[in-house]
Amino acid sequence: MMMMMMMMMMMMILGRLLVFTSQLHKAICLRYPRCVNCAETERDNMETLYQQYFDALPCYLSVQNRALKVVAANRQFRKDFGDWEGRYCYQVYKHRPEKCEVCPVERSFRDGERHTSEEQVVCLNGSQVSVIVYTTPIKNEQGEIISVMEMSTDITEIKALQKQLSESRHRCRMFFEEVPCFISIQDRDLNIVDANRLHREAFGSFLGCKCYEIYKHRSEECYPCVVRQTFEDGLVHVHEEVVTGKDGKPINVLVHTAPLRTLNGEIDSVIEMSADITRLRELQSQLTSTGLLISSISHGIKGLLNGMDGGIYLVGSGFKSGDTKRLQKGWEIVKRNLERIRSMVLDILYYAKDREPNWAELSAIDLVKEVCEVAEGKAREQNIVFECEIDPVGATFNGDHNALRAALINLLENSLDACRIDRKKDRHCIILRMNSTSEAVCFEVQDNGIGMDRETKEKAFSLFFSSKGAEGTGLGLFVAHKITRAHNGQLRLESAPDIGTKFVLELPRQRRCDTPAEEKPSDMKSY
Amino acid sequence: MPVQKTILVIDDEPDTLTYFTSLLEDNGYATVSAKNGEEALNCVKVAAPDLITLDITMPEMSGVKFYRTVREDVRWKHIPVVIITGVSENFKDFISSRRQVPPPDGFISKPIDREQFLELVAKLLYAAS
Repeated sequence: MMMMMMMMMMMMILGRLLVFTSQLHKAICLRYPRCVNCAETERDNMETLYQQYFDALPCYLSVQNRALKVVAANRQFRKDFGDWEGRYCYQVYKHRPEKCEVCPVERSFRDGERHTSEEQVVCLNGSQVSVIVYTTPIKNEQGEIISVMEMSTDITEIKALQKQLSESRHRCRMFFEEVPCFISIQDRDLNIVDANRLHREAFGSFLGCKCYEIYKHRSEECYPCVVRQTFEDGLVHVHEEVVTGKDGKPINVLVHTAPLRTLNGEIDSVIEMSADITRLRELQSQLTSTGLLISSISHGIKGLLNGMDGGIYLVGSGFKSGDTKRLQKGWEIVKRNLERIRSMVLDILYYAKDREPNWAELSAIDLVKEVCEVAEGKAREQNIVFECEIDPVGATFNGDHNALRAALINLLENSLDACRIDRKKDRHCIILRMNSTSEAVCFEVQDNGIGMDRETKEKAFSLFFSSKGAEGTGLGLFVAHKITRAHNGQLRLESAPDIGTKFVLELPRQRRCDTPAEEKPSDMKSY
Repeated sequence: MPVQKTILVIDDEPDTLTYFTSLLEDNGYATVSAKNGEEALNCVKVAAPDLITLDITMPEMSGVKFYRTVREDVRWKHIPVVIITGVSENFKDFISSRRQVPPPDGFISKPIDREQFLELVAKLLYAAS
């Protein structure tokens, strides 16, 4: 930019000098018409002076006629391009046999305006020089363009720097694009203003959208938000999250945020780098995650023990006072909590043990009846209507009896909780359906409980995710999902907030030896 | 004859509600119960309890939110609150770490020690009166 301004100024000075010379000549002739010799001497002196300026300018200066022949040139021009007399500019400048396709000198002849262009010229010694060219027309006293002055300034170094800058930018962009983690840049309103390739592939191209809409399909900002924290304190923050890819699959990520500052030091935006640790989580050994498991379920167990204590207290006090009703009530509480503890322990066992299903031929009807017995009692206690719709034809299929019983009970318990928590309906209902085809046997658990929003739905099968307050261990649905996959089956979920949830558990009737590609790792194959 | 004190028991687990209300009533207190924070707020307005026992992790309006609401309201901020939960004791610090909310008057882990619980209730009611 500085260079361009200097060139412009030099062009203006030169233009003015030319105009001044011409006017000076006219003035001398008018004022001293009889003193021709004196005037000519004066003019000669001035011309000599301008020729010196012309020669001394640190750029290439040439004057060309309409045929594009060089008719005058300065010292620098001569030094770098040699003899020019009688030669065309394109021969001198570019060693070309014919004129250039776009010629700024020709344009100045045509429209009488100044023009600028960037060119690559070749010096006498063969070196290539990048120049910025300015042309300006020279007119005679009648205003006719008689020649065009061309001034070219060497910008080779600037071009080299520009190239370096451009390469450096390209390299930075390439790093940004190819870093093997999800990178996004967010503004103060948490809009994603830039994202790298992996990010676009995983979440889609949603520049300008809110991060929480893209990562979690939420309508509100998350809490806590590490990007927001970085904007506030300018520090790096780290957080582990479960986000959802554009294919709907949950992705476990370890998020790092860092501030991006302007030259004034103000935080302009925040860079968020998220490493995909889904595989890490999936492949985490059972032993190393035991601590997490214990911490996650400990408060659940404490709650159940408290319930047991309550039951024992009622039994004890009822027994002491001879209050049979109280004794009965206490005993029910003991039984209920004992069953819950049993179910939780089984979940932990299914989670912790890494073993193949205990395959056997099972009757779908018998399994459903068995599960119904457990669920009916629990539903009755909570005033929830429980219905069972069984395909009378029935079917046999291959599976692990205890595992599948636990999976179905987990689904039913999820529905019982969803109904118990929901306070927007007067009547709650859970339906367990079973039907079969020649290929598969299908179990459905449907409730009209609180339902799930999109975020809850997407995380429902994630380990240790629970939306049920104190009681949820985040194990039940995870274990049900794991058991289903170990049977090469499918567990699907349909849900809407305030309407209810339906789980569909579909199992192949014949045991398949092949495991789907994404479920190859051993922890997925077994439970 | 001393005036009977009323205790509001808040827990989303029905068995826990039955347990705590029976235990407190057996020891001479009147009780009201609520299954979530929203229901509890109505009870506070209507029953004007002398003490509140509160579970922290509940669906809908959480225990933390209820606690802050009570503590920030001039009408109720004097009511002693005992947190009873299975979540770790660090919660005691967490609950008051934000927005300058004072810590709860008591904290008891589940499963509760009955004697310790009744002692704490009696002590807090005595101090409040």
